[in-house]
Amino acid sequence: MHLRHTLDRIYLIAGWCAAGCILAIACLVTAQISLNLITRAFGIPATIPSYADFAGFLLAAASFLAAPWTMRSGGHIRVSLVTSRLPATSQRYIELGVLVIASLLIGYAFYYIVLLIGESWQFGDVSPGIIAVPLWIPQTIMGVGMGLLLVSLLDALVTNWVFGKSLIPQADNTDSADSEEK
Amino acid sequence: MGDQLLAILLLVGLFAMLAGGVWVAFALMGVGVIALLFFSNAPVGLVLATTFWGHSHSWALTALPLFILMGEILLRSRLSRDMFNGLAPWLGHIPGCLLHINVLGCAIFAAVSGSSAATAATIGRLSIPELKSRGYPESLVIGTLAGSATLGLLIPPSIILIVYGVATEQSIARLFIAGVLPGVMLVGMFVSYVAIRALMNPNLIPRFDMRMSLRQRLWESRGLIPVGLLILGVIGSIYIGIASPTDAAALGVLLSLLLAACSGVFTRRDFFDALLSAARTSCMIAFILLGAAFLSVAMGFTGLPRNLAAWIGGMGLSPYVLLGALTVFFIVLGLFLDGISVVVLTTSIIMPIVLSVGIDPIWFGIYLVLVVEMSQITPPVGFNLFVIQGLTGINILRVAQAALPFFFLLLVAVVLITAFPSIVTFLPQAMTG
Repeated sequence: MHLRHTLDRIYLIAGWCAAGCILAIACLVTAQISLNLITRAFGIPATIPSYADFAGFLLAAASFLAAPWTMRSGGHIRVSLVTSRLPATSQRYIELGVLVIASLLIGYAFYYIVLLIGESWQFGDVSPGIIAVPLWIPQTIMGVGMGLLLVSLLDALVTNWVFGKSLIPQADNTDSADSEEK
Repeated sequence: MGDQLLAILLLVGLFAMLAGGVWVAFALMGVGVIALLFFSNAPVGLVLATTFWGHSHSWALTALPLFILMGEILLRSRLSRDMFNGLAPWLGHIPGCLLHINVLGCAIFAAVSGSSAATAATIGRLSIPELKSRGYPESLVIGTLAGSATLGLLIPPSIILIVYGVATEQSIARLFIAGVLPGVMLVGMFVSYVAIRALMNPNLIPRFDMRMSLRQRLWESRGLIPVGLLILGVIGSIYIGIASPTDAAALGVLLSLLLAACSGVFTRRDFFDALLSAARTSCMIAFILLGAAFLSVAMGFTGLPRNLAAWIGGMGLSPYVLLGALTVFFIVLGLFLDGISVVVLTTSIIMPIVLSVGIDPIWFGIYLVLVVEMSQITPPVGFNLFVIQGLTGINILRVAQAALPFFFLLLVAVVLITAFPSIVTFLPQAMTG
């Protein structure tokens, strides 16, 4: 199962990149608050140019890069009330159906996101702030996250189909308290 | 094609996907795709891609991962122990004694965390074993915990109010401040309920013999000072308008890191765990928000919510009748769906109706949170019930039964804010900036 190991590693690495983005948002906003204090104290106007834009881009990066690992570790919310009461074989077929629907949807979204990136590149779209960031850069990070999310869904689909076992653990149903319950 | 047919088809599609176990975020997206494909001539894929991009990088939403991170850090600190030691000496003479630890502890933790499940887990991990070992009745211990932990949703910072604010384009700062008075009111109601139960049946509560001088008590409470400053810093800076919710959240992360580091039990590993966990929770919520944003846009194309609003508006209902009907609807929906999903479904479909009868969107946000709080403690899907089951091994139906009085207290709170809307609107209107 060398491939299994590699894939899981990729999801987790993307997850750590997302965690890094959140840390970067915290640092960026904290730095701006310190500058605000300096402005108040000494009357020297100081701002990090386009810091709200950068915080937003980091947020988008964090949300999309964390998606594959969140999927793999059962972090996305779903209703298990009905399916968990069914016999194991029906559960497996429903899970296959769910994975097919999810893969189609995310595949569809991914395809159009790639087109969107292409358009931003072609027309040279930039963000409206003081520092004009070419939009294809943050959009590409979104594309990478969505692509990996698609990979993780197909991964779960194939694992279920071929080996007959579910890759995605049951959601733990305890939003942010989950990591403590294990 | 007729509106009724469209509405029924979409609802059936949505509930079939949800019941089948499609992830909530994807189910919302899927219904949006169906609505656009069959009932409009909009370019579906293009709308999907631009909505995903447009709604994923807003400045207001950056408060979300930061507040989640703050809660994750405090979860791993010594905060719950400090709160227990700080609160206990003051409760000896109040009817209900240490049961109030659950109510007050949850209220305080709610003011630094935005999630009710995290609140239940943090306070419960300490209070359940402590109270049980002192002979408090189990049903009251878990009931007060399950009920009080719902305060995590209402008392700012609140993850669900950020979700509501972003989805309806309302000021998150105003929503936060609007949650303060109703939160205090609920704490008062919960404390009174526990005290009345204890007075009605004095043998229920074990005697608490901790004689301490005032000086000793104040000394024991020193552990409450850092968390008090943290709350004051975060909520105060939003209230007086010197900080946006995102700024306040970053400040909160910094202060909670300091607080955790000083407690001595917070390791580097804990910090990285908190960070990764925050990334995961924030991603889950962001995806639901993206799905809901796309569904809203799709609904806008079909014109369904507009027509529904016109239809309800044409019936000339009073807002009270509408709110009554909505409350029943939300309670039923809350039996099966988690709070965030209820909120985003509301904002994509029901919001135009609410606005058309002249209900204030800030007030409605708080109302919605109160109703969602009820759904946290109702089986079969109630997050607080799951958390407490995880902590104690007690079946969720028994936890739900123990929490039932709090369900009714929350219902009373809904009636109160409907009768006296200024409980909600007074503070945000008095806000500077």
